[in-house]
Amino acid sequence: MAIEIRIEGLTRDFGPVRALDDVSLEIAAGEFFTLLGSSGSGKSTLLKMLGGFDRPDRGRILFDGQDVTLLPANRRPANTVFQDLALFPHMSVAQNVAYGLRVQGIGRREQERRVGEALALVELADFGGRNVNLLSGGQRQRVALARALVMEPGILLLDEPLTGLDERLREQMRDEFGRLHQRTGATFILVTHNQDEALTLSDRMAIMHRGRIEQTDAPPRFFDAPANAFVARFVGIDALLVPEGIEAGGAAAVVAGQRLPVAGRAVPGALVALRPDRLALAPQGEGDAPLVLRIAEIQFRGLHSDIRARFDDGQGLVVRAPVDIAARLAPGDPLHLWVQPGGAVLVAPHAPSAR
Amino acid sequence: MPRLLLIVLLPVLAVLVLGVAPLLTVTTWSFWTWDPATYWIRPEPSLAGYGAILEAGRWTVLADTLGKGLLAALLCLLLAYPLTYAIHFLSGPRLALLLLAAITIPFFTSSLIRAFSWRLVLGRTGPVNAFLQELGLVARPLDWLLFSDFAVMVGLVASYMPFAAFPLLLSLRRVEPSYLAAAQDLGAGFWRIVRTIILPLTLPGAFAGFLFVLVMVIGSSTEVQMLGGAGASIVSVMVNDVMRVANFPLAFAISTVVLVVLLALVLAGNRAFRLARLFEDPSW
Repeated sequence: MAIEIRIEGLTRDFGPVRALDDVSLEIAAGEFFTLLGSSGSGKSTLLKMLGGFDRPDRGRILFDGQDVTLLPANRRPANTVFQDLALFPHMSVAQNVAYGLRVQGIGRREQERRVGEALALVELADFGGRNVNLLSGGQRQRVALARALVMEPGILLLDEPLTGLDERLREQMRDEFGRLHQRTGATFILVTHNQDEALTLSDRMAIMHRGRIEQTDAPPRFFDAPANAFVARFVGIDALLVPEGIEAGGAAAVVAGQRLPVAGRAVPGALVALRPDRLALAPQGEGDAPLVLRIAEIQFRGLHSDIRARFDDGQGLVVRAPVDIAARLAPGDPLHLWVQPGGAVLVAPHAPSAR
Repeated sequence: MPRLLLIVLLPVLAVLVLGVAPLLTVTTWSFWTWDPATYWIRPEPSLAGYGAILEAGRWTVLADTLGKGLLAALLCLLLAYPLTYAIHFLSGPRLALLLLAAITIPFFTSSLIRAFSWRLVLGRTGPVNAFLQELGLVARPLDWLLFSDFAVMVGLVASYMPFAAFPLLLSLRRVEPSYLAAAQDLGAGFWRIVRTIILPLTLPGAFAGFLFVLVMVIGSSTEVQMLGGAGASIVSVMVNDVMRVANFPLAFAISTVVLVVLLALVLAGNRAFRLARLFEDPSW
């Protein structure tokens, strides 16, 4: 039932803008895969092509080995939940959900059975006769989901489905996607700019930027081994330091005269990324902390404080600290930092798009 | 408060004075008696005006006018749908503006000039006949192209199509492009999308456009006079003829019949197509 997707060298130009630049990707059957990126990264263009709403200038799309590149949307075994949901305003909830079945010419009784099942699946069992225009945001979302899922698609495409919902509903619907993915077993592809959604739901995800895929991996790998400086920054690793040198073998780097054990591969121009979650403040003046910086500024942030500190060579970073510890520090004080194992990773500098 | 009252009162007064009063006068006078001695009307109830409609083939002109109006309105809608579809879904803002201008600008010339230009186009030596002969489709110029019901219909459709297009465009704004994408995503082909999504959502606009064209055609005279064959007539020409001999009750009776027919159509249509939806919020 679930369909495996293979994308080969997809390229799409809109006038002078290259929306997709030679994108290749393989998505396993039944996987929950997320395309993560900011607006203009090409993630929505890619989703449109998977749904059959746009054609690439170059490249192929294969579903279970079959070339579907030129197949229009109405003949693809994929269904979409649109960003604006696109519920038909002149139809009731049940009529919306039944639309695809009616197109397929499925008998009335079978239609009713499957619509009932789909509405039960999204917990709207008694809503069949309702006017879709009078539903709440979350309910409309569920109707759109039911309308796509009733088709028993091999691939479900979700185009930023949670934007426009308030925070509480967002979380609720997010969990719903996970549950529906397990229930239906279909290949789910989610497009989003929200990292939280991507990290929580995905088996694997791809970070896109300017029409290219920067990294494709399981979510934890983006933190353990970001592919390059762009990815590191994108996932929130802001401390990217230029080392003076890297020891032969790549086990440690030297930053502003201080030696720092690092993980990752040493490539030319490599930067040292410091994971904020693996930095710890050493009690002042105690022991031999591996890194010593000078505090430039302390900012109160509510449940924690941000300490902005600098190396001797001027490079800086921000450490999150408990409020009462930060209160005992002042700008100009030395800051002693422990870097836990795996806290410092060598990453490639971000190559400007080869274009 | 008085300012608000003024704002409401003015248009209400205008509608009463400019719209309702003449209609009431026309309807009332249609039941009065015509005095051949004075060529004027006397306030004595009479159905003579209505009786005269049945004479001299007048009711056939009425029926014929209604038929022309219905046919022209239908043809206008058939042309307006693809046009407005192209403007709304396929055009960028610049092309949309250009297309809108293209259908609006002809209104800057008088209907007389426009009708006359069709004479040149459809005439025996006009470009249409020349083209058909060039292609070898006809041996001799087609006579029925001009001074015929065909020519009248061409003139009417060309004149009044925009009146169908604009309300249709207004109602198409309720059809989000994503509705079409969603229908296609669920397996529907183009014609099914037209039938199940576009038509139902634009029905109020289509009906409004249909009514506009119908009303305009029933009130038209130029096209029939300029392009119609010998003896071709239409209600307004007939009313004009009757007025020339000062038979006011008959003229008013004809007008009243037309008025009643149109009102009936509006009420029936409003019931069936819920015209009021055209003015509701397009976003819901």
